[in-house]
Amino acid sequence: MSPDELKRSIETLESTAAEGALLAQDVAEDRSKATFVRVHSRDLGDVVVHEAEKLNDAEAGDADVGSAKTDAIDLADRIDTALGQLQVAPGSEPDGRTAEKALSGLSEDAGKLAEGL
Amino acid sequence: MKAVFQVALGVIAAIGGFVDIGDLVFNAQAGSSVGAPALWAVPVGVLGIIVFAEMSGRIVAVSKKPNFVLVRERYSPRLSLFTLVASLVLTVLTLGAELGGLGFVLNYFFDVSVNFFILLALLAIAAAIYFLPFGGLERVFGYMGLALLVYLAATLKLDPDWGEIGSGFVPESHGAAVYWYFIVGLIAAALMPYEIYFYSSGAVEEDWDESDMAVNRANSIVGFGLGGLISVAILLASAQVLKPAGISPTSVGSVALVAQQPYAQLGLILAFIGILFAVAGATIDTAFSAAYNLAQHQGWKWGKRFRLLSEPRFTLSLAGFLLIGFAIAQTGVDPIELTEYAVIFSIPVLPLTYLPILLVGNDRNVMGKHVNGPLARVLGWGYFCLICVLAVAAPVLFVWTNGGG
Repeated sequence: MSPDELKRSIETLESTAAEGALLAQDVAEDRSKATFVRVHSRDLGDVVVHEAEKLNDAEAGDADVGSAKTDAIDLADRIDTALGQLQVAPGSEPDGRTAEKALSGLSEDAGKLAEGL
Repeated sequence: MKAVFQVALGVIAAIGGFVDIGDLVFNAQAGSSVGAPALWAVPVGVLGIIVFAEMSGRIVAVSKKPNFVLVRERYSPRLSLFTLVASLVLTVLTLGAELGGLGFVLNYFFDVSVNFFILLALLAIAAAIYFLPFGGLERVFGYMGLALLVYLAATLKLDPDWGEIGSGFVPESHGAAVYWYFIVGLIAAALMPYEIYFYSSGAVEEDWDESDMAVNRANSIVGFGLGGLISVAILLASAQVLKPAGISPTSVGSVALVAQQPYAQLGLILAFIGILFAVAGATIDTAFSAAYNLAQHQGWKWGKRFRLLSEPRFTLSLAGFLLIGFAIAQTGVDPIELTEYAVIFSIPVLPLTYLPILLVGNDRNVMGKHVNGPLARVLGWGYFCLICVLAVAAPVLFVWTNGGG
């Protein structure tokens, strides 16, 4: 896996976490519908899991890429967990606030990781 | 009120063409990736489709010949067969994507199973085709798709930068391949071949004659103009909501999320109603276009204006294409990716679709006093040249930019 490919993959994680945060914000403010939140957070979770699988299967060329790849897989796991919170409780405003905070932070972390490549 | 109903053909052809399942997401991606600077591509595409739709409607009004009859008459048998096969492959792939898209959209309402809703969508579309007259299909799916105007309201409510929007309508030189990928895709989305197949065959269904020239002009300008307006609105609303947050949309849910930002649940519901009917309209456009093309190429009796049981070959081909689309959707292929591939790879077929219209429109022996005037000739040949350039550029940009990613 080249640094460019890894960067694209991490940018997908960054974008998905940011979208999850936007969705979670609407849950926190009771501005969405539970069925939509549940289905969309599941779809976003599928994107993250697919990306983690790709990362896991890819061979890292050098040590720097290997380390960033491990961090990216860990990030994907945490983003999936936060999205799972929305899926389980799509109508809960407190859970929405928690998920929003977590996903915003994870999106920033992914951005920093991508920048470093 | 009568005047409103008279433009239904243009509205459904445009809604089904401009904002089908893939274009919805593609417009949002263009907004989140390029933003307002991509805007100028939409009116370029809209003007092109208006020019050719008006020309094809005029040809039908004068000669009663829809697009694929012109293809059969003007091309050699081999080229005519190639055009038929290429158009059928692309149209049926798009049909499969639209049916798959309907499954996803319905699942956002009820969360049962995408595959179950694909089956339900197939049955609902088949029932609508069987029970509703052609005018009823146009009105139900065309006008309900206009709920997508919620994106226009969203853009206005999100307090846009009017200076940036204004300059977005002026083309600029740009070195980034991704920028040109979205520009080419937005122009091509407006010129999808099945829009013109459906529009010209629809004009035959509505029995247009020389007294309907004004109706034809109104349909092409108002219908495709509305499609372009919705396309612009989705692009701008996405540029305002998704771009600052660094979100690259990948599903129709991301597009619905945009309308939720300014209007909460109401925006979400209106967006999904508009998306549902627009995608269903695209399903009907593509199913009919495939059956029309085959029947016109083979010289069969065709059309919804007759009883479906009185024209078994046309009816069986319509049912067959719906079933093939259903089978494609059931494979679990991503409908967004499938339509985006279809848009890019339909571009090489575009010159073959549009050339016969231009040749007949310019032919005084066929058209008499309704032959293309100087403006229609200049615009027609100008757009034909542009289409030829796009036919070469689109696949190259697709590979170069990794599909805009």
